[in-house]
Amino acid sequence: MSMAWSTMLLKMGEGMLHTCAIFALTVLFSLPLGIIVMLLRRSRFKPVQWITKIYIAIMRGTPLMLQLLAWYFGPYYLFGASIRGYRFTAIIIGFTMNYAAYFAEIYRGGIEAIPKGQYEASHVLGYSKAQTFFKIILPQLIKTILPSITNEVITLVKDTSLAFALAYNEMFSIAKQIAAKETSFTPFIVAAVFYFVANYVVAFVMERIEKAFDYYK
Amino acid sequence: MKKILCLLLALTMVFALCACGGKGESPTADYVFLKEELGVETYAIGFRLGDEALAKQVSDAIKALVVDGTFDKIASKPEYADIKDFLCLKAEDFAGETLPERGSGDSSFTFKQGYDQDYPPYAYMLDDGTYGGFDIEVCKAVCEYLGWGYEGVPFAWDFKDQELNAKSCDCIWSGMTKEGREDKYTWGITYSNNTQGILVAADSDIETLDDLAGKVVGVQIGTSAAEMLEGDRKALADSFGELKTYETYNVAFNDLKAGAIDAIAIDMTTGAYLVSSAS
Repeated sequence: MSMAWSTMLLKMGEGMLHTCAIFALTVLFSLPLGIIVMLLRRSRFKPVQWITKIYIAIMRGTPLMLQLLAWYFGPYYLFGASIRGYRFTAIIIGFTMNYAAYFAEIYRGGIEAIPKGQYEASHVLGYSKAQTFFKIILPQLIKTILPSITNEVITLVKDTSLAFALAYNEMFSIAKQIAAKETSFTPFIVAAVFYFVANYVVAFVMERIEKAFDYYK
Repeated sequence: MKKILCLLLALTMVFALCACGGKGESPTADYVFLKEELGVETYAIGFRLGDEALAKQVSDAIKALVVDGTFDKIASKPEYADIKDFLCLKAEDFAGETLPERGSGDSSFTFKQGYDQDYPPYAYMLDDGTYGGFDIEVCKAVCEYLGWGYEGVPFAWDFKDQELNAKSCDCIWSGMTKEGREDKYTWGITYSNNTQGILVAADSDIETLDDLAGKVVGVQIGTSAAEMLEGDRKALADSFGELKTYETYNVAFNDLKAGAIDAIAIDMTTGAYLVSSAS
């Protein structure tokens, strides 16, 4: 290797920061957006429900990489808008919209798994609708959906590498560039370690959160 | 406790693999190109269709750099030894032409060079982690000569046309083949005359293109070699046992080293770079 180890690790560490930025912003925006999508999906007004269904179908039914390309190049091809400096924004929009669809379905699954008896019982006990949701439903809901959320979040860590399509220098793009320059596999192995450690941290944190919600035992 | 143990074991495993991958290459046999060539290709700079004025300005500035020796100075750097022989610009060819003066460009203009970020030695990440390469150095010299600002726009090669059309860059300039794309761009100066060949292990029994019948040949997706094998040289490709498409030549070359494939169809400069950096 003619590139120093320290330079390689530094560059890949820099890429890791970019990866973390995509990850953190996507989680930050898509978790709440998922709630909104879920509420729209459960709307009793049919057209809203249909539109949301179509949105979820598209987000889940097409590759994330194509969606990223569409978000980035779309404004130019549709409206002739300038896309200078828009790269990172497009990546965050693409990831957020995609993951919100998955999170919405996880939330919906959680809500629909709660037996009707719970609502009836709280009604009998005189709880208001809001009280029922926040005091009875939500605590049970979070517990049920946490493992599925962990799954999605771990997938997200690995999916960040798709940002290479928009030439954003996240860690995997940098690994590829160094590998091409050095004609060596070492950067990929370093990348594997980075991803593994990052996902171990995610799994560890999520496990602690699950423990915190481990009531009713 | 068990969890920590598991993690440690997993990490040990990864590092053990790391040690093998890093330096354990066996004393490599040499690799050679077949005498028969796959085809000739030239490298030029692609501009958006209709951008004739800009294409001419940049081309003329390159000619000026050839005349004043800057171009040759860049080309003579040791890292470009493999591609130097293919460069086809000579000062005597531009003797009678009127070329732009140094600093004659519009100093408020910033020229955006679009390039593939992993295409050594034309455009790639340097040892110190910044971007460089032959095409980038020449482009920077052009901007400096004309007094323009310079901005590098690295992109994924598969989406170069979208990037160019969407105006995120002014040109595609990283070892781009002109052949087969004549009508798609307004072309600037042709600066390299490169040839596609077949790379095999020196001790292999393949000596001519006909010997490739029934063999496994690797190629990188989207490269001129791949396009050639799907187009003009389709008959040859059909005679192969299998044409394996890789995302990068790096992986294909590893497969060749490991004996998993018999040959690689590749442009001779990139091939020479792979061979020299592996030994």
